[in-house]
Formats: sequence, C-alpha cells, structure tokens
Amino acid sequence: MSSHGESEKFVPLDLSRWKNLPIVLMVLGGIGALIGLAVDPKQFGYSWLLAFMFAVSLCMGGFFLTLIHHLFDASWSVPIRRINEHLGAMTYQVLPFLFIPIGIYAMAPAIGLHLPSLYPWMNELLTNPAAAGHDHALQAKQPLFTVAGFFGVAAFNFVMWFIFARGLKAWSLKQDETGAAECTLKMRFYASLGIFVFAVTLTLGAIMWMKALMHEWFSTMYPVYYFAGSVWMTLATVYLVAAILKRQNGQLREVLKQKQFYFIGSLIFAFTVFYAYVTFSQYFIIWNANMPEETFWYAVREKGNFWDLGMLLIFGHFFLPFLSLLRIDAKLTLPVMVPLFVWAWIMHFVDLEFNIGPTPHPNGITAGSVALDLACLAFMVGLLALVWLRNFRAHAPYPIRDPRLAEGLDMYVAPSDIATAPGHAK
Amino acid sequence: MAEQTNLKLAPPPRSLERIPLVQNNRSIGWISDQIAQIAEGKTPMWWWLAFIPSILLATMLFVMLAYLVSTGVGVWGPGHPVMWGWAIINFVWWIGIGHAGTLISAILFLLRQKWRTAVNRAAEAMTIFAVMCAGIFPVVHIGRVWFGYWLFPLPNSNSIWPQFRSPLMWDVFAVSTYFTVSALFWYIGLVPDLAVMRDRAKTKIRKFAYGLFSLGWTGSNRHWSNYEKAYLILAGLSTPLVLSVHSIVSLDFAVSQLPGWHTTIFPPYFVAGAVFSGFGMVLTLLIPLRTICKLEDVITMRHIDLMCKVTLATGSIVGYAYGMEFFIAWYGGNPFERTIFMNRAFGTFWWGYWTMIACNVVFPQLFWIKKFRHNLLLVWILSIFVNIGMWFERFEIVVTSLYRDFIPANWGYFRPTWVDIATYMGTFGLFFTLFLLFLRFLPVIAISEVKGVTPQADPHHPLGGAKGGHH
Repeated sequence: MSSHGESEKFVPLDLSRWKNLPIVLMVLGGIGALIGLAVDPKQFGYSWLLAFMFAVSLCMGGFFLTLIHHLFDASWSVPIRRINEHLGAMTYQVLPFLFIPIGIYAMAPAIGLHLPSLYPWMNELLTNPAAAGHDHALQAKQPLFTVAGFFGVAAFNFVMWFIFARGLKAWSLKQDETGAAECTLKMRFYASLGIFVFAVTLTLGAIMWMKALMHEWFSTMYPVYYFAGSVWMTLATVYLVAAILKRQNGQLREVLKQKQFYFIGSLIFAFTVFYAYVTFSQYFIIWNANMPEETFWYAVREKGNFWDLGMLLIFGHFFLPFLSLLRIDAKLTLPVMVPLFVWAWIMHFVDLEFNIGPTPHPNGITAGSVALDLACLAFMVGLLALVWLRNFRAHAPYPIRDPRLAEGLDMYVAPSDIATAPGHAK
Repeated sequence: MAEQTNLKLAPPPRSLERIPLVQNNRSIGWISDQIAQIAEGKTPMWWWLAFIPSILLATMLFVMLAYLVSTGVGVWGPGHPVMWGWAIINFVWWIGIGHAGTLISAILFLLRQKWRTAVNRAAEAMTIFAVMCAGIFPVVHIGRVWFGYWLFPLPNSNSIWPQFRSPLMWDVFAVSTYFTVSALFWYIGLVPDLAVMRDRAKTKIRKFAYGLFSLGWTGSNRHWSNYEKAYLILAGLSTPLVLSVHSIVSLDFAVSQLPGWHTTIFPPYFVAGAVFSGFGMVLTLLIPLRTICKLEDVITMRHIDLMCKVTLATGSIVGYAYGMEFFIAWYGGNPFERTIFMNRAFGTFWWGYWTMIACNVVFPQLFWIKKFRHNLLLVWILSIFVNIGMWFERFEIVVTSLYRDFIPANWGYFRPTWVDIATYMGTFGLFFTLFLLFLRFLPVIAISEVKGVTPQADPHHPLGGAKGGHH
C-alpha cells in the first residue's frame, strides 16, 4: 500500500513522449506566423488576436473550474484541480506577453507601423479625431473607448488574474506540504472574491478585445456567450489531459477514476446545451426585434462563407456533441471523447473565426487567413503546453493532502484515524 | 460502486467535516415515523391557526375573481400608458417561485446531489401550487374567461387560430407543459411513500385512498427498477422545461423593441432570478416547518447552508445581469435606453429599484459568511427579502419601462387598485391553503429517498451494506 501523505515521495510523471510536441508546435507555428507577418501584416494582427482569444478561453476556463471547485466545496474534482490550477496560472504567466503584439497592433497608426489599428474605433481615434468626434457609438463609450481605457482594462485584467489565480495556486501547493485546513479556507476566500473578479475581467476582456471589433454593436449576452464556449472547450481539454495523464505510470491512476471522467463528461454535456441556449437566445431576440443597430452584426455574418461557418456552429457546436454525449456511457468512452475533444477545439476556433473574421474579411475568410490563424494558434498552444508541462512536472500531479480527497474517491475514512493519518493537519 | 484505490488517506479535519444528511444516527424506522406522523393523528393546533386565515384569503381571491369576471378587467389598475400592471408582475413572480421544486428534483437529481432528498418533496409541492397561482392571472386577464380555451390551437367555427408569433402564446404551452410534467414528476416520486402511508393507515378511508394512489406498490425489485427508470426519464424531461419556462416568460418582454425590455441577457437572467426566488420561498417555508414538525435531523443545517449558497449564487448572477443591463444601456449609446435605466434608478419609482437591489443583490451577500448561513432567524428574514426583492424586480421591469412613453404627453403613473391588491393577497391564501393540505395529507419529505442517504445505506460506511446496522 502506498502512502501519498508527503509531497517529496512523488516522482515527476514521465512525460517524455510529449515533451517535444510543444516545441514542434511553437517552431512550426512560429515560422508560419513570421511568414504571414511578412506577407500580410494586417492579417497577422487579426490572426494573433484570434489565437490570443483562444488562449484566454483556455486559461480563463481553467481559472473558472478552480473557482467553482472551491465555491461548491466539491470533492469529486480534487484529482483534476491541479490541471485547472496550472491552466489558470497561465492567465498571468503567459497571457500578458501574448497581449503585447495586440497592444502594438492596436496602436499601429500612432507608432509608425503604416498599418491600420486592429480596432476600427481606435483607428478612427488615432488617425481621424474629427470623424471620431462625430461617431456617436464611439462618443457614447467615453472614457472606456480611449487608448488609456483600452490599456487600462488590459492592465486591470492581468493584475487581477495575477493576484487571484496565483493566490489559489500558491495555497494549493502549500497544502501539499502542510495538509492544513487553513489552506482550504484561504482558497475559498480567494474563490469568493475571485468569482467576481472572474466575471468582471472576462466581461471586460470579451467586450474590449473581441466585441469592440465592431464597436457600434452591443448585446448584454455577449460575455456570457464567450464564457459558455470557453468553458466548454476547456472542459474537453481537461478531459483529454486527464485521460493522457492517467495512462502514464504515475500516481494519478490512483485518483482519476470513472467518477471524475463521468462528471467532466456531464459538465461538457451541460455546457454544450448552455452554449446553444445563450447563442440561440441572443440571435433570436435580435432577429425578432429586427432593429438595424443590432441586426447588422448578424447580417454581415450571413455573407460569403460566414454563412457556412454559422451553419457549422449550429450543427457542430451543438447537435453533434449533444447527440454524442446523450448516452450515459458515452462520457466514459475514449473513442467518443477523444474525437470530441478535437472537435471542441475546431468548433471553438470556428466560433472565434465567426466573431473576429468579418472585421478584416467582410465577404468571407480566405484560405490564407485561416492558415495564418492556425499558425498563430499553433504557436500559442505550443507555448501554453510548454509552460503548463513545466509547471505540472514541478509539483505533485494532484492536491495530495486535500481534506476532500478521500470523499472525492468515495472512501470512508473513520474520524478515529485523525491522529495517525499522514495527511492530517498538525 | 467506487473503483479500488491503494491510497491511504486522511479524514478531513474537524473544521471541514460535513454534517451528515441525516443527523444523530437516526434509524430507518425513525425516519418513517417522524415524517409520516405529520400526516397522521390529530390535526395540531398550529395547523388550524395557519389554515383558517389561509382559506379566508383564498376565499377573498375567488370573490375578487368573481368580481372581475362579472365587471370586467377595468377593475384592475392597468391603463394608458402602463397597460401591463400587477397581473403580469404577479404571474411572473409566482412562476419564478415555481422553479425551485423541479430544479431541486430534476437538475440536482441528475447532478447526483444527495442533499436534495430532504427538501425535494415540499419544494415540488410548492412548485405546483405556485404555478397554479401564476396561471390565474393570464387566464382571467383575458376578460371573457369562458373563451379561455381559444388560447389553445383548437379548430373552431371561425377558423381563427391563436397568434403563434406572440410570446404570450408560447407561455400557454410552456407553462401548461411545465405544470403537467411537474405534477407527474411529483406524483411518481410520491408512489413509494404513498404505499408507506397505506401500510401505516388505521382507517379504511385512508387505507383505500393511499392504496388507490400508490398503484399497488409492493416495493419489489421490479417496481423499484421501473420506478427508477421512470424517475430518471422524467428528470431528463423536466430539466429543459425548468430552463424553458422562464426563458419563454422573459421573451414576453425581450422580443419587443421597448427600451428596458429588449435585452439579450433576459432568458438566463430570468431563469437565475426564478431559481433565486424559488429557493427564497423554499427557505421561507422549510425553516419554520422543520422546527414545528421536529424535522431538524432530516432537514439539517447542512441543507439550510446549501440552499443559502444556491440563493447566494443565483442572487449574484442576477446582480451581474442588473449590472450588464445598466452597462450596455450606457455602452450602446441609445438615449432612450439610457433614460429608462437612469429613470429606474433615480426616477419616480427609485424606491422600487433600490429595494430590488438591496433585497436581491446586497442582502444575499451576507450568505458568504457561514455564521449568517447558520442563523435560522436571519436566513428566514433574508429569504423573505428575496421574495420581496424579486417582486420589485418584475415591478421595475414592467412599470418603469412603460410609464414614461417616448412622447412626454404619454407620460403617466401607475397605481394598483384595491382589487389588484386583494387578488394578489388572495393568491397567498390559495398557495398556503394548498400547501397546508399537502402537509396534512401527504408525506412532506421523500421517506424512501431520505433512507437512501443514511449511513446505513452507504456500502462504504461502517454502518452500511451487509456489515450490520439499523434496519
């Protein structure tokens, strides 16, 4: 019988089979992105933004799953919490650096790049202040839609993520050493404030970085829509990562059971429905009211191949995963879940393309623009995977002394064992 | 059954130990006795003290409805420019309350939340009675109630079909489907417990009545197997219904072009608000009930604590929606939208807006603190605040979006009539009358389900499975 009461007994997982993959992705993606930058520098900005929003989805998804784990005082998700904590930590470890090109592209006309700004409203503000003064949609958003507002929101988001995602991870790692209940209480404290921080920062990020590409448009549902797609894709990722890690000869085999995979699968199913629900609600309410200041956003997405992307989202983002996951046993069947993970990534990519694409390509995306999007995405995913694996190898693969671990594994531990149990708080 | 693991793990420290779902190691027999006795024996004095005012209020409701039908809907307050008044506010409010029951029964069942067992029965009953109260308003508001069946797409002599493009028609289908499935779900869950009541009955009438409705239940493996399948299927069917009903109610407003109503976040915001108000009402009912009926070992502080957390979560989601509405009213730059929201907060009905904010967003934040979640009096008071706040939310949505029309010449004010007030108060009478009758004649807690979450029923627990224990 092995005892996992102390973190030093853990041998880092053997991830050698995977160690080259991030580098390969980074190199191939980086070369592709550089070629794209040279050939079509304007498109590079939008491709980078698309990949960045994908990265934000993944990191914020991990942050959210960590938050709700603590808020619900859940036990089943203890074994997968470390996966989520490391994803959440990249909100401050990686995202600020990935944002730098977006900041540069947003300011392009002002810093002599001979390119329009990524954001039409910023372009107007920097190149034609007189026209900007007559743009009602822009003037209504003052002082948020200014250079200071744009960078202020980004700085606020990164600082908040640093404080809260870091705090959650730090106390979790500390509990690996001490097993103290105090760590759980501290994590709950961070989560209680963190959920508000999450809501505000995700809302601001979705609005300022993506919705602002068409600043005349507005919808109260938009941040919820981005949130639903992001968590859906993150859950699919966590499922696959957990499945891969379980196959390694590591201690995770002891804690990653059917229950964990079934519950993640159920959450993927729930978010499949939730995404469809919010997406349909937003579309239906706008379509039914038929007000031009709202419908134009959808009207431009019915042109060219955006119509096809829209159809693909209806059937691929909802019907296919919904029908695939309806059966209880499907959530535990790897031949179903692994392709579904790949599909979830494709669908989230398509969803972001549907949101971002019409700004640079009003008549439809091109093969070249998609190729550059994929190159930027490969580079960022490679970088995220590299950082995540480095973090994961540096610590215990799950919260080894979490007080809810036994409950999460459906083990009954008699209270009389308290005095002798290795993980008990002193 | 859980897969085997070789880990040796520590129990949680005392400060993080969970309160058991049935406290004080109560035996399975005690659970049957304690729950069944509420519906057996002599009617207690407290019941009469609650029932008599309730039935009087319910009588007042029917008098008011008779007055309205005989006189016309003009006896209610709506008029230009507020053409929707208390009737739709009360309809949405009661429908919202009717969300907790099926949420607890269906969604928490699918999510394997065992704590639901102690509260689901009463919450489901509450749901059904709340939906009945809600249904009164749209039915009588049509004026000539004898033509109410025209709401359904029945072929008739004039070949006139309902206007399917109207969200009010969608309400008819959504609410009637929700009511039917909720009632069916409630009844299916009752069958094993009705058999318990039948077996315990001492009079022929009770034996016959419980026997009739328990459908010949014997507790055989086959019965349980069919029961579990039916329950799971109904849970699966009810889950989308819970979400759809208030989403469709929200569309009554959101599909319009009116500032203050037309906003895309309305469907999930209404659903969250409905769950919020539903849990508020569940707490309002169950906190006194657990004390009066001595059910503290079954409806434990853990149940209260968890319901407070759901209230906090949904209240915060509602707060987010309020914030987003305000933010997008500013962000969108539509002067009419901005005016409506500024007027809500600082106009004539400012008091309603801030009552809503205080009750729905500010006060529930106290539930972050465990000490407050475990103070029953405070929780009960806050649960009533939730109900008040959610009524004012609907008041603000309906009245403040209508009373200032686009042209100042169309500006007006809204005052309810005494018939409005008496009708609304009367629905409380109907609701509590039905709930008290439910308490007196049916098991208020799902006996068989609570037995399933005792340590004795847990094969991993030393008291559970074949290891010996209470049977």
